[in-house]
Amino acid sequence: MNIKFKIATPEKVVYENEIEQVSVPTMDGEITILPNHIPLVSVLKAGELRIKDKNGEQIMAVSGGFLEMRGNNELIILADNAERAEHIDIDRAEEARKRAETEMEKAKAGEDADFARLQAMIDRELNRIKIGKKYKNIRMPNN
Amino acid sequence: MAVNTKAIKRRIKSVGNTKKITKAMEMVSASKMRKATEAAVNTRTYAKMAWDLLVNLSKIQEVKLPLLEVRQVNKLLVILISSNRGLCGSFNANIIRKTAEQLNNPKNISRQRTQNNLIEPSENITVDVIGIGKKGADFAKKMGYNLIASFSNFGDTPKLNDIMPISRMVIDEYQKKKYDKVVVAYTDYKSAIAQIAKLRQVLPIAEHDLEKMLQGTGGLDSQDANLQITAKMDGNNYLFEPNPSKVLEIILPRLVETQIYQATLESAASEHSARMMAMRNASDSAEDMIKELNLNFNKARQAGITQEIAEIAGGAAALG
Repeated sequence: MNIKFKIATPEKVVYENEIEQVSVPTMDGEITILPNHIPLVSVLKAGELRIKDKNGEQIMAVSGGFLEMRGNNELIILADNAERAEHIDIDRAEEARKRAETEMEKAKAGEDADFARLQAMIDRELNRIKIGKKYKNIRMPNN
Repeated sequence: MAVNTKAIKRRIKSVGNTKKITKAMEMVSASKMRKATEAAVNTRTYAKMAWDLLVNLSKIQEVKLPLLEVRQVNKLLVILISSNRGLCGSFNANIIRKTAEQLNNPKNISRQRTQNNLIEPSENITVDVIGIGKKGADFAKKMGYNLIASFSNFGDTPKLNDIMPISRMVIDEYQKKKYDKVVVAYTDYKSAIAQIAKLRQVLPIAEHDLEKMLQGTGGLDSQDANLQITAKMDGNNYLFEPNPSKVLEIILPRLVETQIYQATLESAASEHSARMMAMRNASDSAEDMIKELNLNFNKARQAGITQEIAEIAGGAAALG
């Protein structure tokens, strides 16, 4: 028994496969979904997504979004952003984080800006950096 | 006569150069169009699934959120999506004409449709415009509409990050009740030769408009049969974490975002295909022109030779 699993971002479908289990960071903490899970709707936060399929474990960085587990063993994740660990460009993520942080500084200095959005941006980049670094050494040779 | 053939020759060369350019532009547009349509199709999966989820949620509980609230229209906001550059046939003309038509008589578009009744707009409707792309912004300025923002720095295929500021602005203003309705004017990509200018409601979120938009992107429907899976949810069995209203709060803005994103992608695809067609027509007429000029050139050349022979013969006759 496997889960029919799909991650979509507004830009594309990132991953689609039958999987054995998946661990997802949600707002209430990390959960692991196994086949025959009861129907569930939950909100994601930035973090690490671990998928176990027949090829082994896949790691992805996600940032926000929601998941829907349907009654018929279908799991759908609608993420704002999802990226395979081995595709993360750490340097660019680092740059993006710095950019967000400088903006945050400016915002603190009284410029008109949206703290929540900036904070979310920083969180997201930090998360990407973390996951990218963690799995840097196990990149697939042909990727 | 010799001068004439020279002039014709120069024309042929210059038309030939123009043809090379238009041919190249046609090819570039074709590849950009392919990318943009692909992106539009990819977005639909997400939009469709988010929408399914919303529909299912609304069955479970009474949904009352600011983004779904339908109210009488006093102020209307139009997001006008056009291109930054010209040379794309009637692409901009069409979308601008369509928008102008609707805005000249904003009553019709300002009517709010709910399931059972219509809410007529108030007598004085004011219209504000957000311009995406230079051409539309120019038009809004010229027509004297209040242009509250203008975005013209999107690439050939817009990224979601490009849309964020717009959708955030729109959502904020709607929640603050500054606007009572938001519509997006975009060009629906039907096929490489058919694009249709359209206006669609973005806020308040309406089933009809969202569904119509998802159905769009003609000719590509067969590729994603998986869009057909519509969730059948048995509401009572669902577990919500942290709770249903929190989930809704997160989904709704995403839907607005995706809808605007989708509209820009469709417009981008339309723009590129309109440009492709315009450039193909230009290449074809350049080809015709070259043919014509070649004929003229040969005639002139032959006329020159004939005249010379006549002159020589005439000269010989005069001597003899």
